[in-house]
Amino acid sequence: MTNKVCVLGAGSTRYGKLNESIIELALNASRDAILSAGISPKDIGAGYISNVFGAADKQVHIAPVIMSNLGIPYVPGLTIESACGSGSVMLREAFANVYAGFYDCVLAVGVEKITHTGTTQSTTLFSYCSDFFYEGGNGASFPGLFASIARAYLSTYKATEEDLAYVAVKNHENGILNPKAHVRRKITIDEVMNSPVVASPLKLYDCCPFSDGASALILCSEKFAKSIGRPYMEIIGSGRGASPAAIQGRADITTIPSTVNAAKEAYKMAGVTPSDIDFAEVHDCFTIAEIIDTEDLGFFEKGKAASRTREGDTKLSGRIPINPSGGLKAKGHPIGATGVGQVVEVFEQFTGKAGQRTVKDAEIALTHNFGATGASAAVHIFKKVK
Amino acid sequence: MPDTKQEHGDSHGVRDKFIESAIKGKILANQCTNCGQYMLETVYFCEKCGKNSFKSVELDGIGTVVTYTILSVAPEGFEDAGSYAWVVFKLSDKPIRASGFLSNIATSADLPLGSKVMVTGYDEKHGLLLKKSD
Repeated sequence: MTNKVCVLGAGSTRYGKLNESIIELALNASRDAILSAGISPKDIGAGYISNVFGAADKQVHIAPVIMSNLGIPYVPGLTIESACGSGSVMLREAFANVYAGFYDCVLAVGVEKITHTGTTQSTTLFSYCSDFFYEGGNGASFPGLFASIARAYLSTYKATEEDLAYVAVKNHENGILNPKAHVRRKITIDEVMNSPVVASPLKLYDCCPFSDGASALILCSEKFAKSIGRPYMEIIGSGRGASPAAIQGRADITTIPSTVNAAKEAYKMAGVTPSDIDFAEVHDCFTIAEIIDTEDLGFFEKGKAASRTREGDTKLSGRIPINPSGGLKAKGHPIGATGVGQVVEVFEQFTGKAGQRTVKDAEIALTHNFGATGASAAVHIFKKVK
Repeated sequence: MPDTKQEHGDSHGVRDKFIESAIKGKILANQCTNCGQYMLETVYFCEKCGKNSFKSVELDGIGTVVTYTILSVAPEGFEDAGSYAWVVFKLSDKPIRASGFLSNIATSADLPLGSKVMVTGYDEKHGLLLKKSD
């Protein structure tokens, strides 16, 4: 006997360069999620925390510190790391524990604090998320790894660097509408194309920023959600996937197997197909990633996402809006929090809190988040509960 | 009595063997004795059949470029490397891909996809070293 799993509350800090400590960020998002759900911390049976670089802010083993400062020091917590995909991978574990009936109500919070280390150290820390012996250790930065993927994609499918720029421009347009986004500035195709090259063929505006931030959710059983009487949404699908850690180990560099497999699992569990999805929050750490994601998730045929993006299919008013929050590109990418923040966006969309970025008549949404170059991934599908 | 082979400083990992071969211009690989699959030395179980009975083979470090990037913003430790590429290449002899560091690459015209490269060594600072090969 399994439980239907619901999201009853959500909270998030602003994403950006923030002054608070990693613990304060996590606590602020957690407090907002608890208040949003209309529950007491005493209702929480367990805490799930996603984080990657806690040591950079002098705190590892952060779960007990967070639980203690929420006033529930005897409630068990667990910290989960899966690089940039930590948030969604952690969400899967929180989901699974409620689904299995171990807990009626849990806190799921993702947090990252990195910008204080500066660009050089941040770049180095991120490179440790690669298969370092083959990638970081041979001179590949993270932009470099995705640039290699981009070169393979552009060559195989005759797409252009300008096609990639359309992803950046669209996500910045959405980010302007999100008061918690890291970057709230309109950019043009020319600005993207003329921005400095970071790792060819990717330029500065093809890349997401380093961000600090935290996002939190309250997950619970349907019975518990109904007992509270607040708006909630149901998690109807959850999937995990994996890929060879180093991209040299992949037969086809223009697709990410972990995404494909996680999506298949999630669609099957939810009993829906890509055409049923009303909007999606996907992992656009670099513009090429969004192009590949939207193909791997089944929204576009292989090789067609670049032209469909250029035609406007993924805009807020398009056929399948992608990243209404602004995505990692504009909303920001505090890597431990990103996968959780995507779900916060879905919750805000489904509970009437998304303001001008609301996707009209949306009832089913998907989140997709991966670690490193897609070595790990999770996909979740949500249904609005009326 | 403690097993002296396990004491600190006396261990020798598979990565060290891979590096020793790279210094000679070779790529150290394993061939599964059960199914014949080739994979890099650093993989412990066969990716195809799951067995761990291997024949070690040193392959010529010569291959063709599958994809690459030219780093304009170098990561820590590579700031003094000049203009270089990080390259994924496929070995000419066997269906194995590896990746490495290729110096003196400034533009994509310097390295069309499909170009030939060869392993020339390994250093602690820049990893697996490559050069263009005619």
